[in-house]
Amino acid sequence: MDSSNDDALDIIITNVVATFRTRCHLNLRTIALEGTNVIYKPEVGKVLMKLRKPKITASIWSSGKIICTGATSEDEAKLGARRLARVLQKLGFKVRFSAFKVVNVLAVCSMPFAIRLIDFTKKNRPIASYEPELHPAVTYRIKHLKATIQVFSTGSITVTGPNVQNVATAVEQVYPLLFECQKPRN
Amino acid sequence: MSSRVCRTCGGSDIDVDQARGSAVCTGCGSVLEDNIIVSEVQFVEGSGGVSSAVGQFVSADGPVKAPLLGSGFHTSVGKESRAQTLQGGKRQIQQLGSQLQLNQHCLDTAFNFFKMVVSKHLTRGRKTEHVIAACLYLVCRTEGTPHMLLDLSDLLQVNVYILGKTFLLLARELCINAPAIDPCLYIPRFAHMLEFGVKTHEVSMTALRLVQRMKRDWMHTGRRPSGLCGAALLVAARMHKFRRTVKDVISVVKVCQTTLRKRLTEFEDTPTSQLTIDEFMRVDLEQECDPPSFIAGQHKAKMQQLEQELARKLDDVEGEISCYKDEIETELEKSRPKLRGIYAAYTKEIDPEDAEVLSLTSDPEEPEVEDKELRVATQQLTQDFLCQVIQEEEGRGKKKDDSNKEPGSEKDVEGSQRQATPLAVILGKLPTATSLGLQPTCDESETREKQDDEQSEGGELDLDGIDDQEIDKYILNEREVEVKTELWMKQNAEYLKEQKEKEERIKKEKEQGTYKEKPKKSKKKKEQIEASTAGEAIERMLEKKKISSKINYEVLRDLNSRGTGSGGGSSPSRASSDPPDVNTATRKRLSRRRRKKSSDTNRDLAANASIMGKRVRLLISSTPKKRKPAVQAEHSVTMTTESATETTTTTEAAAEVTPDPEPDSSSTPAAPPTVLEEEEDEEDEAEEECVSALQLVGDYGCEEEEVF
Repeated sequence: MDSSNDDALDIIITNVVATFRTRCHLNLRTIALEGTNVIYKPEVGKVLMKLRKPKITASIWSSGKIICTGATSEDEAKLGARRLARVLQKLGFKVRFSAFKVVNVLAVCSMPFAIRLIDFTKKNRPIASYEPELHPAVTYRIKHLKATIQVFSTGSITVTGPNVQNVATAVEQVYPLLFECQKPRN
Repeated sequence: MSSRVCRTCGGSDIDVDQARGSAVCTGCGSVLEDNIIVSEVQFVEGSGGVSSAVGQFVSADGPVKAPLLGSGFHTSVGKESRAQTLQGGKRQIQQLGSQLQLNQHCLDTAFNFFKMVVSKHLTRGRKTEHVIAACLYLVCRTEGTPHMLLDLSDLLQVNVYILGKTFLLLARELCINAPAIDPCLYIPRFAHMLEFGVKTHEVSMTALRLVQRMKRDWMHTGRRPSGLCGAALLVAARMHKFRRTVKDVISVVKVCQTTLRKRLTEFEDTPTSQLTIDEFMRVDLEQECDPPSFIAGQHKAKMQQLEQELARKLDDVEGEISCYKDEIETELEKSRPKLRGIYAAYTKEIDPEDAEVLSLTSDPEEPEVEDKELRVATQQLTQDFLCQVIQEEEGRGKKKDDSNKEPGSEKDVEGSQRQATPLAVILGKLPTATSLGLQPTCDESETREKQDDEQSEGGELDLDGIDDQEIDKYILNEREVEVKTELWMKQNAEYLKEQKEKEERIKKEKEQGTYKEKPKKSKKKKEQIEASTAGEAIERMLEKKKISSKINYEVLRDLNSRGTGSGGGSSPSRASSDPPDVNTATRKRLSRRRRKKSSDTNRDLAANASIMGKRVRLLISSTPKKRKPAVQAEHSVTMTTESATETTTTTEAAAEVTPDPEPDSSSTPAAPPTVLEEEEDEEDEAEEECVSALQLVGDYGCEEEEVF
């Protein structure tokens, strides 16, 4: 379904979180001592390694599970993950790149109009929830897409979902609802 | 009293006698009904002529076993866990609700919510406190009472966001749509707290008008209603000539100073603020404003636009300047001495390579560009500084063209950076190369998806698009590793020490045989207490469980030590044995009693060991209190034995404690020698007296048990 607006809405992906496994035990101390840009957190039991090129922060556990955050696209996430695995391989671990999965995608979008939050909440009662005491935005959860949209009164929205496609679909779904409750510009 | 028709004669005149419980036809005399069940209250005459109703009180909350143990028990005995939970929840709701001054109707509704929550198993994994607070807040919202979530969190001393999370979850699961908070609800409450005296109502009215105005001006979306109320009340107070400072208002409204000030400035920006007091009360402006955050956003956008324009203008200006600069530099070059000899050869070498590079960079399809450029880079790095300067200038001139072609270049070589160092030039090339490198890999990765699936199953690492040399930069060389190791060791010296100590401790404990694997926080299963005798079992259990917070154990110990008369040194040695002493004493009493009893171990109390614990607790708690003079002790024992219910339950409890009836006899001879060895004289005397009292009372105890 094409979005029902004339100008294209810019959906900017700000964060992609992905996980993968190396299928081998990793010695965190070795990584901490021999790698650049690493932070070792022995209390928690993980190493944070930051890559420069796809700007990525990875949490590495000794079991071989790795979480990559900070990428701006799914491909970048995969590239960063592979680079990271290569680094670990060079450090001497028998690394195998397996079970790569993008877990979460965070995107930001800005509507060209302001939104009446209370109206919006009333119209979308059980799905949308608004607690001004706790958070200034309305939380709209789309169950079948597993996406959560936070709508602010300025018209900007943040969308989180399991992959980029879902995020785009979610924006398309919510746009007409937002359009109904827009605040007329003075 | 149904007016039925008689079967035999057809007459409808039927006499129902409640006393006999029969229905008889008056026509033919046939008995239609016998043993009619009546639901009337019956009265029984008790001793002294007091008549009381026959029957038992049954609670409305769920099925409850009839209290066999008589009326005095308020602790839930023999009830199901669900009923217990509900009862506990009800109690807590009443407590919290009364602190909030909620009426009974609200509390009942809250309890209904709680019942729903429990039936949906949403209390699992959550503190009951939080769940109850959420239920109460749900009621407040649906009823529209002026209670904030903040109030609840103040009472419970819990973070408001945690409560909010629970509240949101419950509202979602119970499908309850709480209406949105209206800041107008809070005005009367805050006004009352600010103590305006007689004029409270007027001030509230003014504040209400202000809040409504704020709503129309879009100041209230996304904001805490209490902040708005605070601002409105402050202004209203000043309008009515009350000197309420910001601090007063803050303490009532529970927002911080900055927030209040911000709201006031936002209100100031609206056109309403320009009206006088009279005008405001009379007139309502038509115009509505945009929300302040929206205005702020637009402001930012404007600023950004301005900056961009400025930057563009700057570029133009700089373009002109660079032209001039180039001309000057070419002039200077002409006047400079030319390089001769080796250096001339170098310059010649570089130029063709530069040209190569340039041609390559304009050709984005080749991923080999990376390697070539790296080679070029290394060569440039090793050259003389003079040559580098010259190349820089030449490169700069050409580079401008490059960067114009390539939009992806990160470094702005064209305008802004005039002091481009040789490294910067080289590094400037690298990002462009990698941006090129990325494009092909992205394309390839799309086509390679199928291959990826296979590979991911196999677990092999795809090395396409990964530059090994770049990766090598991520790994330190040996010297660096040494330095880092040193640093790390120093930094984490404490942690390493802790780890060593922990290991040593674990080793020691292993040797001793008391090693515990990872102290887990929640021990839901009760640990099996291994002991050779029942007495030891009780000892250990009572040692582990701190029986009662109301007992001053130190005093207990002192009492025992005082009895010896030997003085100081005895008490510490006795200290550990004293709680077991008390227990062995009681245990002995109980075991003696039990010996007298024939068999009967099956009692209803088989259900809970905790109840057993409580019983023993009761006994223990009752006795030490009365134990001050040891003489009274046995009197207390007799008293306890005389109060039929308690002692029988304790004996039964004691019966439950011993898994086997048999070792009982063995334990009793075991117990007296241990008792005699450890206890002091006075205790021995007490013990003996206890025994004699027991013997006296023993038969009585048996009879009581037989009743049940």
